[in-house]
Amino acid sequence: MAKGIAEKMKKKAMGLTAALLVVGFGAAAVSLFHWQILRGEDMSTAAMDQSLRSTTLPAMRGTIYDATGTKVLAQSASVWTVVLEPAFLAHDEDLRRKVSSGLAPILELDEEELYEKTGDASSYYTVIKRRIETETRDTVNQFLTDNGIDSGVRLIDDYKRYYPYGTVASNILGFTGYDGQGLEGLELYYDNELRGTAGRMVSARNAWNLDMPFEKEQLIEAENGSDLVLTIDETVQSILKKYLAEGIEKYQVKNGAVAIMMDVKTGGVIGLSTKPDYDPNDPFTVLDENLLAEIEALPESEQDEAYNTAQIRQWRNKAVADTYYPGSVFKMCVGAMGLEEGLITEASSYTCNGFVKFEGMKDPIHCWKHAGHGTTTFREGLCNSCNPWFMHIGDLLGATTFAKYREAFGFTQKTGIDLPGESNSLYHDLEELGPVELACESFGQNFSITPVQMITACSVIANGGFLVQPHVVDRIVDQDGNIVKTADTAYRRQVISQETASAIADIMRQNAEVGTANGGYVMGYRVCGKTGTSEKVDKHNQDRSKPMEYIASYCGFAPAEDPQYALLVFFDEPGGEDVSGLTGGNAVAGPIFSKIMEEVLPYLGVEAQYTEDEYEQLDMVSPSVAGKTLDEAIAHLEELGLAYSIIGSEDGDVLVTEQIPETGAAVPKDGKVVLYTEGYDVDSTLVEVPDFMGYDLANASYLASINGLQISVNGASTDGTTVSLQSIAAGEQVRLGTVISLTFVEDVNTDIAVDREAEGQEE
Amino acid sequence: MAAQGRTARGLRQTPSTGRPRGEERERQPRKGRSQIQYRLFSLGQGMDMPLFVFIMVLLAVGLVMLFSASYAYSYYHEGNSYYYIARQGGFAVAGVAAMLLISTFDYHHFHKLSYPVLGVTVLLLLLVLLLGPVLKVKEIAPPEGDAYRWLQFGPLGFQPSEIAKFAVILVVAHLISQNAAKMHTFQHGVVPFLVVLGTVAALIFFENHLSATLIVLLIGAAMMFVGGTRPRWFILGGLLVGGALAVMLIGGSNYQSGRIDVWLDPFHGDPDLTHQTRQSLYAIGSGGLFGLGLGQSRQKYLYLPEPQNDFIFAIVCEELGMVGALAIMVLFGLVIWRGMYVSLKAKDRFGMMLGLGITFQVGIQTVLNICVVTNTIPNTGISLPFFSYGGTALMMLLGEMGILLNISRSATVEKT
Repeated sequence: MAKGIAEKMKKKAMGLTAALLVVGFGAAAVSLFHWQILRGEDMSTAAMDQSLRSTTLPAMRGTIYDATGTKVLAQSASVWTVVLEPAFLAHDEDLRRKVSSGLAPILELDEEELYEKTGDASSYYTVIKRRIETETRDTVNQFLTDNGIDSGVRLIDDYKRYYPYGTVASNILGFTGYDGQGLEGLELYYDNELRGTAGRMVSARNAWNLDMPFEKEQLIEAENGSDLVLTIDETVQSILKKYLAEGIEKYQVKNGAVAIMMDVKTGGVIGLSTKPDYDPNDPFTVLDENLLAEIEALPESEQDEAYNTAQIRQWRNKAVADTYYPGSVFKMCVGAMGLEEGLITEASSYTCNGFVKFEGMKDPIHCWKHAGHGTTTFREGLCNSCNPWFMHIGDLLGATTFAKYREAFGFTQKTGIDLPGESNSLYHDLEELGPVELACESFGQNFSITPVQMITACSVIANGGFLVQPHVVDRIVDQDGNIVKTADTAYRRQVISQETASAIADIMRQNAEVGTANGGYVMGYRVCGKTGTSEKVDKHNQDRSKPMEYIASYCGFAPAEDPQYALLVFFDEPGGEDVSGLTGGNAVAGPIFSKIMEEVLPYLGVEAQYTEDEYEQLDMVSPSVAGKTLDEAIAHLEELGLAYSIIGSEDGDVLVTEQIPETGAAVPKDGKVVLYTEGYDVDSTLVEVPDFMGYDLANASYLASINGLQISVNGASTDGTTVSLQSIAAGEQVRLGTVISLTFVEDVNTDIAVDREAEGQEE
Repeated sequence: MAAQGRTARGLRQTPSTGRPRGEERERQPRKGRSQIQYRLFSLGQGMDMPLFVFIMVLLAVGLVMLFSASYAYSYYHEGNSYYYIARQGGFAVAGVAAMLLISTFDYHHFHKLSYPVLGVTVLLLLLVLLLGPVLKVKEIAPPEGDAYRWLQFGPLGFQPSEIAKFAVILVVAHLISQNAAKMHTFQHGVVPFLVVLGTVAALIFFENHLSATLIVLLIGAAMMFVGGTRPRWFILGGLLVGGALAVMLIGGSNYQSGRIDVWLDPFHGDPDLTHQTRQSLYAIGSGGLFGLGLGQSRQKYLYLPEPQNDFIFAIVCEELGMVGALAIMVLFGLVIWRGMYVSLKAKDRFGMMLGLGITFQVGIQTVLNICVVTNTIPNTGISLPFFSYGGTALMMLLGEMGILLNISRSATVEKT
């Protein structure tokens, strides 16, 4: 019995122990397998997450230089972001108060808001102030040191982007976001190259946020971004910008403007200015007056949204992102097609009756000159910008050949310019290209392209027939000075022959002198030009109660002898109430084209060569005579062959106190210098500038002389041209003898592409 | 030995005669030794060597892990990394000395000591309750939240519940050995135990120390089961305790039901409540199969609360991986199995039951601790024998091991 009991007990004891070990440890082993093997990664990651503090070491963004390689267009400088780690502050009331009351005044923050932020125990990262500069950082550090705060507030290295030239190249450069990422323009397009590679410092921290001893910090150095050297020249860019602004103001342009200047041989864009623009240092502020006026006009409730839309609009690079009907500018390409195919010659003739009738259309398509141009050669046809002539060429080409050249000129594909947001062009496919569509496209209407496509096609004619790759960045240089990448300047293909290109260029030269494009005439230079006045038919069809709006454009190149630079200028919706009717490409875009060329060409090293006529018209530079005695001054002027008049005392010994025009200013060859001495009434020497607009040269000269003013002539002051621009606005008070610069152009809206009625019925 | 060496060197000239003589000499004492068993450490009869070695190995591993696990906590809370290991090392040395001493103390003396020990235990438990919840003498009975578990007399602090476990083992072993033949009866197999266990468990329960209460009941129940109490009483008792727990969870404090929620989903809910379990699982998961390496734990850097205590096994898992954790579980298994084996071979029934009780205590605590750390069961405060920091607990444990070793001396077991 006793023996039996003992055996039973032993069995029970062994069974119980075995059960305990097998069940207990077995269950634990299953758990271990679950947590260590199956979910090991999760757990490990979670554990790492809470103990590893990873600090990003930002890479410095590359610098953007202009073509000279010395002017900095965009640059980064060190700043700091102030970050709270509320988890290490939240538990300590005194500390919270100390931190918030101490930092608020330094960082210009609201103390109570800051205090609230310090209370979020679950946060290890709350940004309270971005981009403080060195001085503020030092103050913050001093505060932290003085108060022995070693945890809970951190300063994180960062960079801020500066654009020293402000608005000048905004639509090319773009801007960067809060985290330094490129958002628009080159900053976006070349973000990968500019950005560099951020480094990281990973350090292990214990639960009290102190560095773990014996844990090595892992440091990966930041690699700074590469620099960009652009083909854009800051000087040219500024000139484009200046004259666009002038044109917008003078011609009351409502919807912005574009000017692109391109090296026709390399495709390098030397200047690309668009309006509206903005200051990349402060991209969220809308600068454009038209846009602001539009917003003002809206009810208050809609203004915020309108402001956002306006921001996006001012960031938009109109030169690549917007499309337009190229209008008559496109005729240079169609003419080239005809010559290249041998279907026409310069001397071929065609008779324009003022319209062309198409089967199935009730009304014919008119020439801009309803009376018709009669029988003209092709050379005359292009200079006249005669629509039927080009419909005729389109007809000769046929849809297939036309479409082939249209593609060869690059109108059907994006140019691939290194700027973001390039639009696709809109055109009729070969299958849809019926006789009417072909006719319309032949004079540049009813298909949409981007301005950059147009200037690239114009470069084909300028450079002898080759399609180049438009680009803005010349080379990318890394931080060690190695060139990482250079722009591809190779021709993409030959579109037309050298002969064809030269022939068209010569006609365009003539056109810019005496043809419909004479507004672009530049004294001292042989320029080639073609105007375009495109109707905004789509917009007109949407709301017929409003008058038709136009895009006035002028596209050309110089110098004619060896074309180097192409320039496209276009104004979107010119001709506000005060300058009503002034909407044509020649009248509006021509003078601006001329002024830009006149200033840019000498800068780019193209020397002026004056003809005799031009030399006559050329202004002299006013000498320095102020401060001399009257006798001395008169002697000096006579020596130079300049006339003079005297206001005030005529005693030969009195000093000349003032001279108009001032020293260094232009004075016409047949003009005079007004010498002011002493003893005259200042008010009596002031005159009001009259309105010269619309006067021809003779009348303008008379008007000037009766007002005691002088004029200086710009543009081709030949027969039939009138003043379209005066350097000093009518109504301003100026001194007697002041020289006013007048720009003469032919004043008719020469080449409006399609008759409105015809267009309306076609729709 | 030195003399022998010289002789050997001298005999090098005549190796053929020297070698057989040497072998003969060595063989002689070996024969003598095998006749009187292994005598190392032994006074009187030898103790069980495997058990002794397992205990010492486990203790050594435990101390190494305690050093590693407490390193950072000690540094940040005590100012130096050696605070806990130094103290625990001291207790371990004293504990091993006590173990060896007690292993020479004939366990039969505990027959007579069983009721006095129980008496002292009950008095101490009452003292805790009196000085704690009733009189609030913080100097002697410091509270831990709602719980009063400690008695502090100057530098000496201990938990009477630790002593209670031993007292219960002692009394139950005594009762079973007295009533071995009548254990199947209600009168002898249930009532006396109910009185002893009920009293002690109730007192510990009132300390708000649920884990110790359950351990006392489990040890007692296991011993009664082996002793011969009828299974039906365990079913009844199990139902009663289970019912009581259910009532506590449903109707009782949020504190207890919160533990269940944490157990079921340690990654959501109140971060304060889930913190310990979550951090424990992070540690275990970080270890993977082979661990981060000894000393390489991240979680011990103040993320896992009190890593040197109840959750030391999580750090073991993190540093030694699943392989290391299983190895240590095997080591525990060896101690427990050998402890049981030695107990079963004890000379008499009291020795057997005493040994089994001690073995069960180690087994139950180990299993429960590891299951808590791995979130296999809900979190409740149980320390890991030989590993967790705690002077009294370690001293008590090693003392009990001494008793086990003493039992082994008279046991009919192969001891080498």
